[in-house]
Amino acid sequence: MTTVYLVDDHRLFLSGVKSELEGFVEIVGSASDVDDAIEGIRAANPEVVLLDVHMPGGGGLTVIENVVETHPDVRFLALSVSDAAEDVIAMIRAGARGYVTKSITPEELIEAIGRIKAGDAVFSPRLAGFVLDAFADTMSAPIDPELDQLTPREKEVLRQIARGYSYKQVAKRLSISVKTVETHVSAVLRKLQLSNRHELARWASHRRIV
Amino acid sequence: MIAGICGGLGARTGLEVVYVRAAFVVLALVWGLGLILYLAAWAATIDLPSIEDSDEPAAAPADRQTHIGAGLLLLAGLILIRSVGVWPGDQVVWPLAAIVFGSAFLLDQRGIDSRDFLTSLVDPGDNSMRRRSIVGVVLLVAGLSIFGSVAVPQIGATILAVLITGVGLSVLFGPWIWRLANDLGAERSERVRQEERAEMAAHLHDSVLQTLALIQRTEDPKRMVTLARGQERELRRWLYDRVPEAGTASLSVLLQSTVDRIEADFDLPIDLVIAGGDLEGDLVGPLVSATGEALTNAAKHSGAGKVSVYAEISTDAVDVWVADQGSGFDVATVAADRRGIADSIVGRVQRHGGTATITSEVGEGTEVHLHFQRQEPQ
Repeated sequence: MTTVYLVDDHRLFLSGVKSELEGFVEIVGSASDVDDAIEGIRAANPEVVLLDVHMPGGGGLTVIENVVETHPDVRFLALSVSDAAEDVIAMIRAGARGYVTKSITPEELIEAIGRIKAGDAVFSPRLAGFVLDAFADTMSAPIDPELDQLTPREKEVLRQIARGYSYKQVAKRLSISVKTVETHVSAVLRKLQLSNRHELARWASHRRIV
Repeated sequence: MIAGICGGLGARTGLEVVYVRAAFVVLALVWGLGLILYLAAWAATIDLPSIEDSDEPAAAPADRQTHIGAGLLLLAGLILIRSVGVWPGDQVVWPLAAIVFGSAFLLDQRGIDSRDFLTSLVDPGDNSMRRRSIVGVVLLVAGLSIFGSVAVPQIGATILAVLITGVGLSVLFGPWIWRLANDLGAERSERVRQEERAEMAAHLHDSVLQTLALIQRTEDPKRMVTLARGQERELRRWLYDRVPEAGTASLSVLLQSTVDRIEADFDLPIDLVIAGGDLEGDLVGPLVSATGEALTNAAKHSGAGKVSVYAEISTDAVDVWVADQGSGFDVATVAADRRGIADSIVGRVQRHGGTATITSEVGEGTEVHLHFQRQEPQ
């Protein structure tokens, strides 16, 4: 069973998720603040961490940044009610392999954890929207076209996800295998993490200001 | 003021700080003696704990006799220095000392609320302030006139009078006006904070508390979820998003309100995702109403547990997809009433120069795709 660590400052939500996941994954620990989380994750060394975006004391971003330094194999799935695009993109860029909203059903969450464990990316419709938004037809030419620009196929996959379809449905609709969908999504994730294009930074700051 | 020497001395002896400072200033007149003393005291205290940290309790505030005694000590010291011969001259030291201590008396604001300064001057019950003020003014005026006539005879009498009055007034009222201004600033920011708090409380009362009350009275769990979702969405928008200005009719704002309305009407969760910029103008109306019809259609007929709306606004085109994963239907053999709705969506969009494509498969769900080419790419 996948070993999972939970980090959320809302204890009620923590216990809710715990009971939903019981029996499907092995929960090796949980924390409600940033410092406990960093310490606890290092000690428990789980395969997957479910991580809240907004927490007092630095938020999920601080947790990822600290844990990745010492435990690069731990994988993170951001789980939040937050709709603030710049926070979510910051978590992804720091190393989180996906982002889902807390309204996700238990079955979908369990599936997402499995995907994260396998090293794939988990894109909720909202995250797909954020990414499409970030890469939306920027007029300026990309600095490094190989790395920076999403391919038409990747954009198409993201659009399908944004329209609410699961990976399996996307595969069927585009007549490709689920594995190919996963490859496309992982490529997008990589571009997002490696990209240093200034458009992304500008987009994030624009979001914050307006 | 600089190293806290005067403050420390005042705290140890119980003397009012302003007089200790005045004494140092007067001593400084005697060829910088006060300055030397000050620096010596500073050097001696560098390694000592400050008064706040030390265990030694601060002395109780000294009474009037102690102050007078300390003043006489200072006077004796000055006379001693004068007899030794290190003396800049009678016409300089005495008037300046009078000016300094006159100012000190006026600056001594003990036990006075700044706003009551004027009333305390005429308050018959508490005459200490009045006495201090009178002594201060007399010393100040005497010092200034003697110093003025002796040391600066070349200055015209009129200018001198103006100067004296100006200095006297600013010393008399300056601290009071300063404090009054500070109090006003603090009061204003406190009022702003209170207004913000009141606005927030009002908003929470109108929205969140009402919804919570509704949820408590609702038996139907589905209805509860819809209420909670709608409230969550609204609260989050209020907390994080830009507030749309009154009268603006951008696509994102209108889509959101349409989604909210249909979600509430049909108890159906709707996920709205918007990417790209925003859109205003002629296309917004037909896009929003066609989306609304597609959503209503999905809510009434699909039986799906949720519906997704995805809008993408790029510089040359606008696309909206409304997708459900419900029962679906055979587009070729669709029943007349549903045909009508589909036609109305397609017709409406076509009239405005766009296209609407409806794809559906029995058991797989339905998707409505609205597409508009933008006239003038920006």
